[in-house]
Amino acid sequence: MNGSALFASLLLTYAGMLGFCLGKERHWKQLVNPHVPTGLRRLCAPFGGLLLGLAIYASCQVWPGGMAVVGWFGLISLAGFALLLLLPYAPRLALSLPLLGGLVWAAAALT
Amino acid sequence: MKGSLTQSMSWLHTWCGLLLGWMLFAIFLTGTLAVFDKEINWWMQPELSDQALSPAAAANVAQRWLAERHPDETNWNISLPTARAPDLAVSVGERRRGGGGVTHLDPLSGATVEPRETIGGNFFFHFHYTLHLPRTLGVWVVGFAAMAMLVALISGIIIHKKIFKEFFTFRPAKGQRSWLDAHNASAVLLLPFHLMITYTGLAIFFLLYMPAAVNALYDGDRQAYFRDAQSGRAAEQAPRGEGRGSKAVSAPAAPLLPLSEIVGRAEAHYGQGMIGSLAVSNPGRANAQVTARPVLGNRIELSKGEGMVFDGVSGKLIQAPEPSRTSQLTQRVMAGLHFAQFGGYPMRWLYFICGLISCAMIGTGLVLYAVKQRKQAKANAQFLRVVESLNVAVVAGLLLACITLLWANRLLPAELAARQNWELRLFFGVWALSWLHAWLRKPLSAWREQLLAAALLALALPALDLWSAQDTLDVMRLSLLASVASMGLLLGWTVWKIPTVIAARNARSARLDRPAAGASS
Repeated sequence: MNGSALFASLLLTYAGMLGFCLGKERHWKQLVNPHVPTGLRRLCAPFGGLLLGLAIYASCQVWPGGMAVVGWFGLISLAGFALLLLLPYAPRLALSLPLLGGLVWAAAALT
Repeated sequence: MKGSLTQSMSWLHTWCGLLLGWMLFAIFLTGTLAVFDKEINWWMQPELSDQALSPAAAANVAQRWLAERHPDETNWNISLPTARAPDLAVSVGERRRGGGGVTHLDPLSGATVEPRETIGGNFFFHFHYTLHLPRTLGVWVVGFAAMAMLVALISGIIIHKKIFKEFFTFRPAKGQRSWLDAHNASAVLLLPFHLMITYTGLAIFFLLYMPAAVNALYDGDRQAYFRDAQSGRAAEQAPRGEGRGSKAVSAPAAPLLPLSEIVGRAEAHYGQGMIGSLAVSNPGRANAQVTARPVLGNRIELSKGEGMVFDGVSGKLIQAPEPSRTSQLTQRVMAGLHFAQFGGYPMRWLYFICGLISCAMIGTGLVLYAVKQRKQAKANAQFLRVVESLNVAVVAGLLLACITLLWANRLLPAELAARQNWELRLFFGVWALSWLHAWLRKPLSAWREQLLAAALLALALPALDLWSAQDTLDVMRLSLLASVASMGLLLGWTVWKIPTVIAARNARSARLDRPAAGASS
């Protein structure tokens, strides 16, 4: 089983869902520094969609064919649920998790 | 018109969800546990140990044992060690795997091992689709509940006004608001899973629930339908059936090929370690045949009953597995999606966590009803009491009963007669007592006490095993203990959180929240 690809798909689905989340005004206000131009908010959802698209590629490295789609759906749901729980309790972590996870993934891939 | 549709859907959602929600919670929780049925089986029989022997070598051990004790039997069944069930077991005659008469063998020495009798993780699996009722009745009742689940899901989507606006909204510690948020979010974010698991669950028993088409086309002859649906299977069955009975005795004696040979050939087709069992007919005769069956899981399709048939003397392939026909394939893919045997452990964990969130969705829905009713002056107090006690007994009580079952497996003497029945009695006994307890105590106290008991039992289980059975612990058993302990931590955290949540809420507004405090778990 390809652990690196599994971790990458989890990260990408999480980042994708975070993108959709930031696309909503309520969460944008909650999470993002007010100095950041609000025009960027409109880009969040399409960017999130793009990441979810990448996630299905990563998922295909974990499972063959149809299973990858099933796994992709499951990962999206779980990543979304994790984000939901993080938002009220640890909003900063919710925002920085893709970055932290990305560093861990890169470190693991390089070693 | 819009208002009336929402209202009627809301009514439907409430009553479908409430009346069948109790049953659905039990179905979903046991189904979630059944994702790891074999792992629970393995933990529940600590007498068995993983000798890490290859299936081919284990097949030879079994063959030697069977040839010594049962040379004249017409059928041998061997279940080989696999990744999820690393034990070697044999039986003779027409019995299927898991039935009575199974002998466990030590894969290295070939000596018989006598593990304790236990209902095992299979119990959760059977309870999941029969509720421990007689099979057909149980399947119908569960099917009815699954239909209600579909109705509740669809009506829930209709009455949810802000699906996209509140996609990621969860506001904890706000009483009814929080319960509704948690219920909505767990339902919406996992909607694909809920719909898939419910629909595919219904599709498994299509012949039972919707027999009309097959009855009309095949005049009620189910076997004819199966023969048509899968030509490969029919061909496989024919020579085997012919080989049984009186003819078998008349065939001349001929030595059976070493079974490792057959396992090797089957593995060449299915992949290393993918052969789960062998069935040998007429061993030691010229017409001997060996059917090698794969473990499930190299594709989504549920390939139960599939296998490769080999000539037992020459090792020639007689019958290769054939791909299913389209209609059969559709049904089997749906069943496979439900059984979750594919994709290895990552997929199993995905299903498990999704299942837990489904349970949370049903549980929060049940609590939400009680919280809402408590606020209404005209609510029927007696009915509310029934609802609240059932909520506690079904959610907290079932968790407690499940963890009790694991304890019962360890604490009941291993040589006790009719041991499975005692395990069952303890499981259902504790569950019944949890309802009595919930009826007698105030709802909040009942929630806290039962969840606390479940949390403590879950946290103490690894300690029990480390103290009394540490030499039996392998990676699989340790992982199970670690998972149980994590559940214990989660439950403990919930119990620990209750007073803080209530205090915070009472401080904020006594007026609004006093009636809702009872169920904040």
